[in-house]
Amino acid sequence: MLEAAIKKRLGQSSFALDVAFTAGEGITVIFGPSGSGKTTTLRAIAGMVTPDEGKIALDHRVYFDSAAPVDLPMQRRRVGFVFQDYLLFPHLTAIENVLYGIHAPNERARRERALEMLKLVGVDHAAERRPQALSGGEQQRVALARAIGSDPAILLLDEPLSAVDMATRSRLLDEIVELQRKTRIPFLYVTHSPADAVRIGDALLVLSEGNIVQQGKPLEVFNAPLNVPAAQVVGTENILMGRIAEHQAEQGISVVNLEKCRIIIPCTDLPQGARVTLGIRADDIIVSREPITRTSARNLLAGKVKHLLRDGERVELVADCGVDLKVRITPQAAQALELAPGVPIFLLIKASSCHILL
Amino acid sequence: MIWSAFKLSILVVSLATVIVGIAGTALGFLLARREFPGKELCDSLITLPMVLPPTVTGYYLILLLGRRGLVGRYIFDLTGWTVAFTWEAAMIAAGVMALPLMVKSARAALETIDPRYELVSFSLGKGELETFFRVTLPLASRGILAGVVLSFARALGEFGATLMLAGNIRGKTQTMPLAIYEAFISGEDHKAQLLAIILTLASVAVIYLTNVLTRPQKAQ
Repeated sequence: MLEAAIKKRLGQSSFALDVAFTAGEGITVIFGPSGSGKTTTLRAIAGMVTPDEGKIALDHRVYFDSAAPVDLPMQRRRVGFVFQDYLLFPHLTAIENVLYGIHAPNERARRERALEMLKLVGVDHAAERRPQALSGGEQQRVALARAIGSDPAILLLDEPLSAVDMATRSRLLDEIVELQRKTRIPFLYVTHSPADAVRIGDALLVLSEGNIVQQGKPLEVFNAPLNVPAAQVVGTENILMGRIAEHQAEQGISVVNLEKCRIIIPCTDLPQGARVTLGIRADDIIVSREPITRTSARNLLAGKVKHLLRDGERVELVADCGVDLKVRITPQAAQALELAPGVPIFLLIKASSCHILL
Repeated sequence: MIWSAFKLSILVVSLATVIVGIAGTALGFLLARREFPGKELCDSLITLPMVLPPTVTGYYLILLLGRRGLVGRYIFDLTGWTVAFTWEAAMIAAGVMALPLMVKSARAALETIDPRYELVSFSLGKGELETFFRVTLPLASRGILAGVVLSFARALGEFGATLMLAGNIRGKTQTMPLAIYEAFISGEDHKAQLLAIILTLASVAVIYLTNVLTRPQKAQ
């Protein structure tokens, strides 16, 4: 369990980071726009940045405490760090990069463990290659193997996949989850991709201008922001996770099963049973007080209002329809429909408003 | 005369290059990676011999290290020995003249290395020293080697400061450039020629080596 309370002013700018959170085993995603303090938070935990004030401890081992004072140097924190641009040592081969961080009693044990690490991430075939001869995805895999090989107590990943192509990214996301399940240490994963956050996060922290504006389960946070800053950061897209249940090609639709409901989307060529992440923009959802059935909108979901947020000339409404969905409407609509928390409503969504996120 | 000047030059220049190579890399690292008060002043002081007339540098070295010099007097009081007019003086003069080239090369080479490589090394549990020798130094090695080669050349050609601090004593402090001067003055043209050819060849080799070392490395 990581416990962190970090206060840090950066340079002469007015930016001030002030966060306090805990992160247990599993993958905690830190999400926010650039300049929100995600990377500074990560760097403070690693020891690359010294907080002005605060305390950072992992499993009661104090890394930093401005009150004590304690400030453990990086090399004694056992914190693995994975950068966006891999940063493999260019003068060493893949396996030498992994060997660099491995502590073991003898040379043979070290080599065995290094190979095991490379196998774990599926790049043992490239063990003797230099980083320049590896693809972006392979380089990031070696960087993961190197970090895990040094037996860290926590792994920090700073937008690790933003430099690799889409297909590799999708595979690496699954591999990172698998790696976490095997190592059973906390992973802190910084990203600005909602799809990545929802796909791999066990917990989510939303940062805005140096503060945590909301935390919780990723899907809940994305689809039910509790306050205006959180709503602004997570954006206007609802993100839903499900599996393809069936195709009706001649009808031009596919059906996606979510946990507690099903959504009809335009026909896709993904195989039946495939996992999909759906995006539905909050502006594309119609709210009605009565069930409307004879309509071209293919999805009719019954639920009730969870809460309403007034954000300037918009009202952001969170509806509970088995899944949380956020809907953006005008204040006039909210007034005319007499919407308030607890009021039963129906949501209408066109199939074509439901798109698959990669 | 030629042989003794050659031997002395090789001894003086090799030792000066080793010392300057190590000290210059360390200083270059401090200047590239650390913030400390007086950093730019320190840089200016090290660079000074590059722009000062070498005889002026030599003069300052006498003020500093001579028998009654700022530091020299204590050495003399303690040991009864003074550096002036010894081969060690030739080495010091050559070293001081070569140091700016070494520090500049090392600093430039180290500044091009992404400091995050060092952070990665720390995160893998390695201390500062191990990180320096296993990550920073290998990554900057070409630039540092180029600095060593340039320093060697500068030390080999050193004349003015050497003459001031070490004098021109045949077989004792007379390095090749000083020997050329003496041979020429005393009309021994063929000796001067031979020495000039040796030094020219050494310089060509140096230019070739630095070009190879500083050529941008092609990705595999």
